[in-house]
Amino acid sequence: MNFAQFQKPQRYIGNEWNVVKKDHAGRIKICLSYPDTYEIGMSNLGLRIIYSLLNDFDDVVCERVFLPDDDFAAFFRNSQAPLFSLETKTALKDFEVIGFNLSCELNLTNFLDILSLGGIPLLAAEREKVIIVGGGIANPEPVADFVDVFFMGEFEDSAAAFVEVLRKVKDKEERLKALAQIDGFYVPKFYAAGFNGAKYSFEKKYAAANFPIRRMFVKDFNNAPHPDKWLVPYGQIVHDRVQVEIARGCPNACVFCQARAVYRPYRERSIPAIMDILRKSYENSGYEEFTLLALSVSNYSHIEELIDESIDYFKDKKVGLSLPSLRVDDILGRLHSKLSSIKNSSLTVAVEAARDCLRDKLNKKIDLAKLFEAGQILRALKIRKAKLYFMFGFSDETDEDLAAIGKFLHELSYKTRLNLNVSINVFVPKPFSLWEGEKMDSEETLLNKRQIILNHAPAVRYIDISISSIKKSIFEGIVSRADRSFSRVLLNAYRKGARRDSSSERFNWDIWEAAMKEEGFDWHFCLEAKTENHPWNIIE
Amino acid sequence: MDIQKYPIKVTLHKRGEMIYFSQLDMVRILERALRRAGLPIYFTQGFNPHVKLSFLNGLKLGVDGSLEVVLYFTQKIEPDSVRQKLIPQLPEGLDIIGCEVKN
Repeated sequence: MNFAQFQKPQRYIGNEWNVVKKDHAGRIKICLSYPDTYEIGMSNLGLRIIYSLLNDFDDVVCERVFLPDDDFAAFFRNSQAPLFSLETKTALKDFEVIGFNLSCELNLTNFLDILSLGGIPLLAAEREKVIIVGGGIANPEPVADFVDVFFMGEFEDSAAAFVEVLRKVKDKEERLKALAQIDGFYVPKFYAAGFNGAKYSFEKKYAAANFPIRRMFVKDFNNAPHPDKWLVPYGQIVHDRVQVEIARGCPNACVFCQARAVYRPYRERSIPAIMDILRKSYENSGYEEFTLLALSVSNYSHIEELIDESIDYFKDKKVGLSLPSLRVDDILGRLHSKLSSIKNSSLTVAVEAARDCLRDKLNKKIDLAKLFEAGQILRALKIRKAKLYFMFGFSDETDEDLAAIGKFLHELSYKTRLNLNVSINVFVPKPFSLWEGEKMDSEETLLNKRQIILNHAPAVRYIDISISSIKKSIFEGIVSRADRSFSRVLLNAYRKGARRDSSSERFNWDIWEAAMKEEGFDWHFCLEAKTENHPWNIIE
Repeated sequence: MDIQKYPIKVTLHKRGEMIYFSQLDMVRILERALRRAGLPIYFTQGFNPHVKLSFLNGLKLGVDGSLEVVLYFTQKIEPDSVRQKLIPQLPEGLDIIGCEVKN
């Protein structure tokens, strides 16, 4: 095959340094996918963890597939050739199990597209193969018709039990029955689910299946496997650096945050364990940049010591160390003196709301006076950029709260002379967040609020504001909160051509609206305030 | 205070799957191979140090052919030692067909 006819052919070759290629004979064949392009999928640490975890089993061969870009996808469609894995160019349909990392609601049509390009029936009931879905997905119901089995939570401690079932049981139905009894696994077809009047209920159809489903958490995070034979792409990817996970979960409790509920409790890896991963990963990859990863790096108990040790190890090797985000307190306090040795230092602050009273309600503890001080320090260190996040769409927010965002930005840039990159997002009441039961604002209200924010936003070149699209946010709300009947909408919209919904250029609300109408799906109901009867209540 | 640098010219044959990798990709491939090999790499001086490499010719994407590149080290090093250490760190499809001290 001549790959040179496609854009960026590097991403379809599958010959990365440390790639695992095994003979398929006598092995359990699993293909792992992140339903987005190679550059995004390969930047996901979870996928890399599971890839190395599964390949550590001698009798398992685990390969990868990502969403082909438009030109490569067209090739598969036009030639009727089935989509294949990166490693050995094996057709997807020749794998026993395909695992998907669904961490983003806007990737659902990509997930269906990969199946379709692989010549695999989309509906679980119509195929022989086992499709397993895991990752950050919080509410499995909207995709239930397409998935044979979900794994809820962190997979590391359950991998051995999963492989054991695949080893011993070969029939699909028997495999699903066996998995349905293991903690963390959810086989949707073993439960009848739906609204019974206003009540959403689950009824077991297979007596031995788990109920409710327990979300799994790694018990001994310090010794949890971390890939140290880092897969090195030769082309450039989105996060082109080795990511070392120093902590999992988050000790803060912001009311809108889903991640802290999906990954909990807060656990840290010890410095010796982290240093061991850093050393091995460097020796095996030769990467020139490393990043220390956690939901909130700043909360790591011994962050100063960790940075000192890492910088010591990397100094002569001219390896850059970056942190995904710094908090105001770090810049003012303990990390101040270390900032100049950290690569790409910049200030990232999720301010969320510009006024104290609203921020208090969100349980977001930031002292804005300190932010101004931190800005001055950054300026002295010749760091000129700051990234700020805000959120709007809360039910008791006032016009004054909205207008305050612009005033705040103006004052901050005036006093600190920093260039501000500002991202303003709509509040979506995500399942399992503390505010999962809140209602989402209507489109009309959100458009109004957006306009108030923009009317007060300073239009100057050193403040770059991006504000999320209302339609896309509403869609995100629907798809994260929907019940099982949404699967029909998804299929309808996919057939109408919905693809790559995470891209603003590609997202098409009209397709989704038509699909919801045709399938009789009431999306307004989905976004109403509720205290119980959530479709995701089957997950504990 | 400039550090002395010792150039070695390496001739590579790009074939098979490696023909799909651009010159920019080659910079990353060689830099990371040099790092894994633990060779005494010469880094550019300055605020943002990176491995110094100079290509003597270019090769179009998708073409099988040879590529000459000059690598720089901070110590005098035998070309054969560079070859021995680099070979196991290069991907399949990238072969060293020549290695000599560059004058």
